[in-house]
Amino acid sequence: MNDSQQKKAEAEKTRAVLNHNQAKIKLCLEACASCSICAESCFLFNNNNHDPRFMPSYKVINSLGVLYKKKGRVGTEQLKRMQDLVWRNCVLCTRCYCPLGIDIPDLIALARSLLRTRGVCGVYPHTLGAPEEEYIMEWDPQELSDPDEDPDTQR
Amino acid sequence: MYEFVTGPLLWISFLIFFSGTLYRIRRLYSLTEKREVTVTPPGAAAPPAAAVSAEERKLNLVVSFQNSLLGKHPVMAIVSTIFHICLFAAPLLSQAHNLLIYESWGISFISIPDKLCDVLTIIFLACAVFFLVRRLTVPKVIAVSSPYDFLVLFITAAPFLSGFCAYHQWLDYKTVLTAHVITGEIMLVAIPFTKLGHMVFFFFVRILIGGEYSFGSGRRAWKT
Amino acid sequence: MVKAEIKQLQEIKTSVIGYSSILITGCGGCVSVCLAGGQKEVENLVTKLRLSCKADTAPKNIGGMTVERQCEAQFLSQLDQEVPKYEALISMACGAGVQYLAERFPDKPVFPAVNTAFIGINKDLGWYEERCQACGDCVLGITGGICPVTMCAKGLLNGPCGGPQNGSCEVSKDIPCAWVTIYDRLKAQGRLNNILDIFAVREWQNQTQGSIVLDAYKSRYTGEKK
Repeated sequence: MNDSQQKKAEAEKTRAVLNHNQAKIKLCLEACASCSICAESCFLFNNNNHDPRFMPSYKVINSLGVLYKKKGRVGTEQLKRMQDLVWRNCVLCTRCYCPLGIDIPDLIALARSLLRTRGVCGVYPHTLGAPEEEYIMEWDPQELSDPDEDPDTQR
Repeated sequence: MYEFVTGPLLWISFLIFFSGTLYRIRRLYSLTEKREVTVTPPGAAAPPAAAVSAEERKLNLVVSFQNSLLGKHPVMAIVSTIFHICLFAAPLLSQAHNLLIYESWGISFISIPDKLCDVLTIIFLACAVFFLVRRLTVPKVIAVSSPYDFLVLFITAAPFLSGFCAYHQWLDYKTVLTAHVITGEIMLVAIPFTKLGHMVFFFFVRILIGGEYSFGSGRRAWKT
Repeated sequence: MVKAEIKQLQEIKTSVIGYSSILITGCGGCVSVCLAGGQKEVENLVTKLRLSCKADTAPKNIGGMTVERQCEAQFLSQLDQEVPKYEALISMACGAGVQYLAERFPDKPVFPAVNTAFIGINKDLGWYEERCQACGDCVLGITGGICPVTMCAKGLLNGPCGGPQNGSCEVSKDIPCAWVTIYDRLKAQGRLNNILDIFAVREWQNQTQGSIVLDAYKSRYTGEKK
């Protein structure tokens, strides 16, 4: 199988997972009032200086949300960012609290499945062996970039 | 213009609102299924390991308060509760609205004095400003805010703002009144199709779907 | 995953009497999933201990922190800054986590706040069932995906015994006989001949501490070149 064929096959798999869960994803993403109350229910958010990138809703919106909106057509850079969000910034302890009742862990698990169809998965050194300064991130609100702007989305 | 927005347009928006809401509920039903508990787990029948003392019951109460939204985010809990109460109370109980309903169909809800309704509106708008400021200043909220979130907040606040102006006869009354009706209709239509759909989602999911945070023992679950 | 249950408050309280400052450590792994030792349970235990310890015996300083997993040094290292501030530690992790925590901070007494119960599944909300005893010699492929070690009261590998009545275990009529269930499933799958296999006497390994080194990593510990 050549490169473009493989990409095509991957895209098809991604679309299949997306289509299968489309209605649920749409409902859940639409129910989110972006209230950010889920933040403190995540111990990783609390342990990492309240970095918004650990906030459950942020993780969902910027992984599953983007994959859904772009129908899976996202570039390598963005996939890498999503990989960080759903594997490094989330351990699926399944305890996020959403006042509206959105099942956030379910959506993150779905984002993981979607990323796997693109050959992206959790990498062990992600959480183990990385030097602490890499692991504990400093953050600056300015740095949170717009999920929509990604230089290599043309696929 | 006024006749049109209070006539056909109002009917259309009501129709869209109710059918859209029904559609949403149906959607939620079709995406979830009832999970019958057919077997009692052996552990459930066994008595608790030790009787819970009065002191422990008290501690459990304290802890369940601590775990509640009010305990975790008191300001957000209070502001959003008041916001949502006013959101429903002010329009539904307003004397002016009830008078219109009475004139049309000869029925009316309980109504509250205009002064009180005015106060509710002011409180509502104050809460909306709180949400707006929060969205503009708190880092974690900024991180998940998009123009859409501001639009939705605006759609919700606009009928109240215009209603407030109309009641106090600020600006050109006829124009403001028309704007009030139109913004109200926009909000109604927006509820089933935008983030405001959380109106349906909230009650459905937190009551009917079982989970750590559900109210009561929801028996439904998302279909896999 | 590993399933655990939170201990009675009285027991936890008694264990920490005499210590003036305690750090309660949670684990974001298995015990968080089974609602026994995640961040929320840590917060709740902090509150309960603060409010319920009598003034004279009360620890003056009770803190809480949850890390990703207490069974990995990388994550325990996040506690390095916190632990020195306290006299004793309470761990809400499974038995493995408690021990690894104690090993990392050998000068601090560590007390468990949960009872580690078994390796099991999430049957329903707040309902967990044992499925595996980590016996170290899996036979599920032969027994139709039903574990006789876990599901049979006697852990028989060549069952059933003479006890089952109408498909129920002699221990209780509410417990299905593991071997009857195995028989039914194998029959349905057309693999009944499996049941004729006789398992040799088992080399039980429970007597010594279990340990696994993946083949791929063996050379890493033996120093041998691949």
